[in-house]
Amino acid sequence: MITALRWFVFAVAAIALNFPVLVTLSTSFKSARELSGNPGLWVQAPTFENYRAVFEVSDRLNIFLYLFNSLTVALMGTVLAVALALPAAYAIARGRIGERTLLPFIVNLRAVPLIIFAIPLYMMFQWLALLDTRLGLGLILTIVNLPLALVILVNAIRDLPAELDEAALMDGANRTQILIKVVTPLCRPAIVTSLIFGFITAWNEFLFGLMLTTSKAVPVTVGASFFFAASGGGVQWGVASAVMIVGALPPMLLGLVMYRQISGSMTAGAVKG
Amino acid sequence: MASLRPSGQQTQIGAMTIARPQSNAPEFRLLATPLVLFLLVFLGFPALVNLVYSVSEVSFETLRQPKFTGLANFLSVWSDAAFWQASWFSLRFGVLTAILECLLGLFLAIFLSPLIERRSWLMAILMLPLMVAPALVGLMYRLVLHEFVGPVPYYLWTYFGASVSFLGPGSAFWTLVVVETLQWTPFTLLLFYMAYQAIPSEIAEASAMDGARSLQRLWFIELPMMGPTIAAALLIRFIDGFRVFDNVYVLTGSGPGGSTASLSIYIYEAFFKQGAIGKAVAASVVLFVASFAVLYSLNALASRRKGAKR
Repeated sequence: MITALRWFVFAVAAIALNFPVLVTLSTSFKSARELSGNPGLWVQAPTFENYRAVFEVSDRLNIFLYLFNSLTVALMGTVLAVALALPAAYAIARGRIGERTLLPFIVNLRAVPLIIFAIPLYMMFQWLALLDTRLGLGLILTIVNLPLALVILVNAIRDLPAELDEAALMDGANRTQILIKVVTPLCRPAIVTSLIFGFITAWNEFLFGLMLTTSKAVPVTVGASFFFAASGGGVQWGVASAVMIVGALPPMLLGLVMYRQISGSMTAGAVKG
Repeated sequence: MASLRPSGQQTQIGAMTIARPQSNAPEFRLLATPLVLFLLVFLGFPALVNLVYSVSEVSFETLRQPKFTGLANFLSVWSDAAFWQASWFSLRFGVLTAILECLLGLFLAIFLSPLIERRSWLMAILMLPLMVAPALVGLMYRLVLHEFVGPVPYYLWTYFGASVSFLGPGSAFWTLVVVETLQWTPFTLLLFYMAYQAIPSEIAEASAMDGARSLQRLWFIELPMMGPTIAAALLIRFIDGFRVFDNVYVLTGSGPGGSTASLSIYIYEAFFKQGAIGKAVAASVVLFVASFAVLYSLNALASRRKGAKR
């Protein structure tokens, strides 16, 4: 009896929490004619017409470009963040450099409203001609990803036995060699976690994409809204839904496949950070 | 451990610390340097620009020749009713969503844990909203709540014969609270589920032997043990609610009469829509100082409590 109640609560929660995605998914398979008469969740005559429309490149809209931009900037923001954070994390965890200054500052950074830096960054990018470039957005996403990557990696390195370092030091290795040959392989799970989590965060970022890009480097979170006014008149909700599903699918699939790693890292970052 | 600075040389005494040779300090510094340089360029320099422009009279035409005006920008922020309205929105939004998310997450984590323990894929389904961009979720709700094609008004009309203007002046705030809560409850659910699972089973058994009923056990033992996690979740969710931008921006923007402008939206619009660079930058500096003051005092508080426990 109580188990049945639990299942009922689970079903209600699963539907309520995922409701916007479910509605959008269902709408994306409706024809324009069906949409006007049937706003409910059930699709009477499913069609792929909306997806065909989304992937049709016009001079104003190019979904492939937006997806490519998102992929590039997310990869850049993720890999660069880990590349910068890993040696620093090693210095913090083993050398105790910046343990009381750098680490708390960067951890706090995660909680600061990023809009604070948005305006000067906008001006800086204007001077450096980085506005509307994938490089520029990738650099900003690196900042967004740095705090969590650093926390995850510092925790991972602290969990490694220090005897490993000392043995390698005895053998005449220097710290950089230890980092590359000993620490990095042992931290691979934490590195993978930072990469996955960073990729999802970067792909889903919106504020900086909105501010710093206009056409060439627009990511899909920003580009999706272009489809809302595609036909000049009212919103074509079928097409709009299809583009939202396309934009939301990559991180959702990644999250579903890797949810164990992500759930671990979320709690690590939250509790220890 | 603070003595382990390069200037400390060979001062450490005792068996605990001999294993950390200090001669490595320069090498460690070198390893941390790229990160520090990156932060200086992409955060330090912008912070400096913020400070300079916040005390200057500046427009898009005079970006390179800012003229010093003292605290004029701060005064214009201080006397701007919209700034206080936005601060009040952010504060209320942050507090309400944090509390709602934690209550709902706590209930789901504890009530559903017997199901999830045996089938972890259930958690994957509940976690799915966390993977979707908040901006896209906001756009999705434009469809969900749309008066002609949205299922929510449609079902309300069908079953209750009436619907609400969800994004209208009176209800926009509450709609946004629900949107935010539904997207981020999975986060607190996950945190609380992990904390709940981490409670040693001996404690449940011991208290059952003492005749504690499950509700008593929950209230007197399990919830207090989850206290630190609950506090952390409240804080994290408050911060994220306070600085909200994406979903509010795409759903209502600043709303009727600026009623749904968060501080992030206030700064964004001051800069991009009004071109009031000085005001936007001054507001950023205020927010910057306030955030770091709050965060550092919380850190200090947390580490002092940690120290007291030892």
